[in-house]
Amino acid sequence: MLRKLLFATALVSVLGSGAASAETINMWVRSGIGDSFKEVVKAYNTAQQDKVELTEVPFSELVQKYATAIAGGQAPDALSLDLIYTPAFAAAGQLEDMTDWAKSLTYFGSLSPSHVKLGTYEERVYGLPLLVETSIFAWNKGLYKQAGLDPEKAPTTWQEITANAEKIRALGDNTYGFYFSGGGCGGCAIFTFTPLVWGAGADILSEDGKTATLDTPQMRKAIDIYRNLIAKDTVPAGAASDNGVNFLSITNGKIGQQSLGAFAIGTLVTKHPEIDFGVALIPGVDGKPSSFAGGDNFVVTKGTPKLSAVKKFIEYTYSMEGQKIMAKYGSLPTRGDIADEVLKGLDPRLDVAKDAIAVAKTPYTLQFNDLINSANGPWATFINAAIFGNDVDGAFESAQSEMQSIIDAAQ
Amino acid sequence: MTMPAIASSPARKRRRRSSGWQGLAYIAPAIALVTVFFVLPVIFTLWMSLHRWPLLGAPRWIGLGNYLRMFDDARFLAALGFTTHYTVVVTIAIFAIAFPLAFFVEKQRPLVSTYRTVIFLPVVVGLASASLLWVWLANVDSGLLSPLLQMLGLTERRLNLLATFDTAFLTVIVMVVWKIAGFTMIILLTGLQAIPTELTEAARIDGARPWQRFRHLTLPLMRRTLALALILSITGSILAFDQFYIMTSGGPQNRMISVVYYIFNQSFVSFNLGYGAALSIALLVILVLISVIQLWLLKVGDDRP
Repeated sequence: MLRKLLFATALVSVLGSGAASAETINMWVRSGIGDSFKEVVKAYNTAQQDKVELTEVPFSELVQKYATAIAGGQAPDALSLDLIYTPAFAAAGQLEDMTDWAKSLTYFGSLSPSHVKLGTYEERVYGLPLLVETSIFAWNKGLYKQAGLDPEKAPTTWQEITANAEKIRALGDNTYGFYFSGGGCGGCAIFTFTPLVWGAGADILSEDGKTATLDTPQMRKAIDIYRNLIAKDTVPAGAASDNGVNFLSITNGKIGQQSLGAFAIGTLVTKHPEIDFGVALIPGVDGKPSSFAGGDNFVVTKGTPKLSAVKKFIEYTYSMEGQKIMAKYGSLPTRGDIADEVLKGLDPRLDVAKDAIAVAKTPYTLQFNDLINSANGPWATFINAAIFGNDVDGAFESAQSEMQSIIDAAQ
Repeated sequence: MTMPAIASSPARKRRRRSSGWQGLAYIAPAIALVTVFFVLPVIFTLWMSLHRWPLLGAPRWIGLGNYLRMFDDARFLAALGFTTHYTVVVTIAIFAIAFPLAFFVEKQRPLVSTYRTVIFLPVVVGLASASLLWVWLANVDSGLLSPLLQMLGLTERRLNLLATFDTAFLTVIVMVVWKIAGFTMIILLTGLQAIPTELTEAARIDGARPWQRFRHLTLPLMRRTLALALILSITGSILAFDQFYIMTSGGPQNRMISVVYYIFNQSFVSFNLGYGAALSIALLVILVLISVIQLWLLKVGDDRP
């Protein structure tokens, strides 16, 4: 009897490991991160026995959906999580601790530092870099030429950008000089607008993330710059209510200048070859450039039975082949040691985005969703009220106090 | 109720008892559904509301903490204020449109069923789809309304309807009236048609003018219909969510956060499920109170046999 039982167990485990050799990993990815990840999955699925099944979730709902899926026991094996959320999910104890395996990778030391920093919670590694992008400033060379500007000369100050915007606006009815999503898209604004302040040495949160430091002379200056761009009629009226849906407005060919991300470079190059554009770093209010280091971390749901398959897939994305595919579609190399080789032969504009990593920042806070990303959070409200509203002082005052009260309530 | 002597005979008693069981068996499915889908969730919500209940992590008992927090939660009070404002405006707007429409389609006239259908059509569109449709209509660049206003010379340049509170609020109100008025019209129509024509004729012979007939005859006889239409409209407005979520994402500078929107944000953006549950219970109490007050004001139920 015992022997029979042992035999049955052995059989089951053999069958089990047999099944493990061709597993399907369920993975979620947020919308709007471009095609790089989808392409690398496609390549993996054709080349390997294991399959990755991708589910695209709207970026604004990914956190809610993932959290509810965990609560309901329906969570995917892994997901591509906006890196700023990694601390919060790690703190909640929902992610698989990957410290030992991660540190055994020979190239662990050269993985994108800001991703690893955000992926680390209390000395343990829960998230590894998957997609890396930085925010950069882009201009439409065609429109520059039409407006009599030098299409090869990148503007380096906001005075220059404003002057150029006016000249482009003068071209006619539907051509505008500048664009940004200003209607309750906190994520867009933190990505493209805070570099103005960061470059000048200010920040919206203190170093430890426990004090809101919104009201600084630098931020006042940055708000004035955007208000001035609107006052001079260089921004389409739709910007005031764009909640991020039209973030890539530059693709319509009627926008002269816009701050966007490296993923957008990939999208523009592969999907809109008709638009000739240049990229540069986003100038700060006093001219010193900065950038937001964003992108996604690879996180694994705690207790997934497909851990080894997931690890195999992660290693594939870190291989030269995987890195090259992702870079082609706009995700910067996650591995510093082979970055130059990966980008060789690809669009030279990606180099600008890669160089931005050196001056880029990422806020570290457990309340990112509440403070920044929520369409109804203080940051998104502040951007709309301060840039489009009539009461700038009031906008500063209420956002500053609301941010502080959210931080305090979470302590 | 007087009991006939014969009812106490054993045979009749047995039959009565068995018909009681039968009755229970008939309503059992309904009871089961209500229990599973309403009573139990409400009890569970009540239980959750007494905890600090994060979406991830372990719940912790905090008694009435969530309920006390409500009273000095400025954002919740603002949401209550906005919801009240919205409910009053939209209910008045719906009745102002639906009443004349009901009179219009009540009389037999050529094409009347066509009119009824056309007016009722928006009702069958889901609220979310209708909101999406109007987001497009109100879009400043590719929509219909802004270019139209500009073409008619009403605005100097294209106006972004969803960018300021007043115009965005107006757009939402117009959308909801367009969507809901047909339904209210149908309810009012059934009330109108239930009024015997002899009464109207008698009033007319007695020399009552149209306004007098409406005030002293039509309105009193439509009390129950009005009560139904009002309760549906007010309850629906207090529970409004889709239109604000989809059309304005909470409105310019968060000024269009309704109570349900706030509950949603607390529960699924900030992940305070416990507080969200407490807010839901508070909203339930408010709704029940409002409905009771309305029924009492309209004296529905007094005239039951």
